[in-house]
Amino acid sequence: MGRPSAFAQYKTLLAKDLRQEFRTREMLTSMGIYALLVIIVYGAALALTARGIDIANMGGGLLWVLIVFTSLLGLGRSFAHEKEQACMDGIMLVPLDRSVIFLAKATANILFMLAVEVITVPLFYFFFMSGQPVAATFFWVVAPLLVGTIGMAGIGTMLSTITMNTRSRDVMLAILFIPLIYPLLYACVTATTAAIAGTEFWTDFFVMPLVLACGYDVVMLLVCWVLYDFVVSA
Amino acid sequence: MNAIEAHNLSKAFGTRKALDGVSFELPEGAFLSIFGPNGAGKTTLLRVLSTLARPTAGSASICGIDLKESPNEVRGLIGMISHASMLYPDLTAEENLVLYAELYGVADPQARARELLEAVGLSHRRIDQVRTFSRGMTQRVSIARALVHDPRVMFLDEPYSGLDPHAVDIFDDLIASVRGDRTFVMVSHDLAKGFALCTHALVLARGRVVTFAKKEDLDFEDFAQLYRDTVGMGVS
Repeated sequence: MGRPSAFAQYKTLLAKDLRQEFRTREMLTSMGIYALLVIIVYGAALALTARGIDIANMGGGLLWVLIVFTSLLGLGRSFAHEKEQACMDGIMLVPLDRSVIFLAKATANILFMLAVEVITVPLFYFFFMSGQPVAATFFWVVAPLLVGTIGMAGIGTMLSTITMNTRSRDVMLAILFIPLIYPLLYACVTATTAAIAGTEFWTDFFVMPLVLACGYDVVMLLVCWVLYDFVVSA
Repeated sequence: MNAIEAHNLSKAFGTRKALDGVSFELPEGAFLSIFGPNGAGKTTLLRVLSTLARPTAGSASICGIDLKESPNEVRGLIGMISHASMLYPDLTAEENLVLYAELYGVADPQARARELLEAVGLSHRRIDQVRTFSRGMTQRVSIARALVHDPRVMFLDEPYSGLDPHAVDIFDDLIASVRGDRTFVMVSHDLAKGFALCTHALVLARGRVVTFAKKEDLDFEDFAQLYRDTVGMGVS
């Protein structure tokens, strides 16, 4: 019996997370419904004042508020299955690098968050921006959405592991998550707004924040990957 | 060769010492029962020996392999059954076993899963989700999970917790059938059962070894009295 490669173990763990989610739809359903509710609240909040608001310049911020809080809900649930019946201990007893657990869980979280975004971003556009002319640069929003989602899922996976066994883990996760993703969030909101508004100098407000967001992703994911062994063992 | 060697193992959580200089040597093929009051450090000792927790001080080895130096090698040699099944409730019994078999690198995970489900008498429920199983059935799948990679040392952490008497009998039969030349370490509150099964007994209190001896050197009544005295010590 030879030890399987890290990639084979990664695929096995990822397949397990996907199979569980497609069977229970716990995360996708709760995140999807929550996102829909936030859109409804936006609708109520902006209904009376919509005429006076330049929605194109607010769109990036509103969209990221939606994504951040929806992600928090999902990330808080991402280790629920591992905690039940001490499954995390079962995985920890297997001879595998702890970073493989992190990568598999982070990948699953990225996929779940992207799946929710694929539904909610068009809905957001339909409800709030469909009456306005579309900037030619609009479809560039995909880039900051992707970069932001990857970073938030990675950092969120790490923090979700840390807070898994704490008493008020949902609150703890939010308290740690928001400050840590703040630079990423700021960069992604700037880039998203630039793409939606599509003003004359839009690349100035799009490229640099996106590069910074990518750099932040790389640094933070590397830190999480390296520290994960220490975090799960502590 | 000794299956387990522990030298001055200590584990502290903040200022509280859960284990305080635990030392013992257990030969291969032995069955060690660990007794002690709540909070004595029994589960912590098992978690340290199974690499789930790092010792604060001291050293230990499984089949001659150092826990700190080669934890992944040690993990390949051990299996663990606890009161929590370590099974994913939304996956089927077979999916759970295939998952662990793939992670351990078992040659034919599907075949191994079916072989083990047959051995624990649950092949007819292999495609049912574990969530639908009774506590006794879940524990039988848990035994299969722990054996999926054919470990040489088995750790049992209060495995009878929550089992009805019939399920306890089935569990005992299964453990006896898979015993072979494996080494077993069991944490139990059931003094009579633990003593009946063991070849060696260890009593822990306040993280320290009160007694470690071969069963043949112990008289059950004296041992029971010692245990009662130990429980009377309570925890710090």
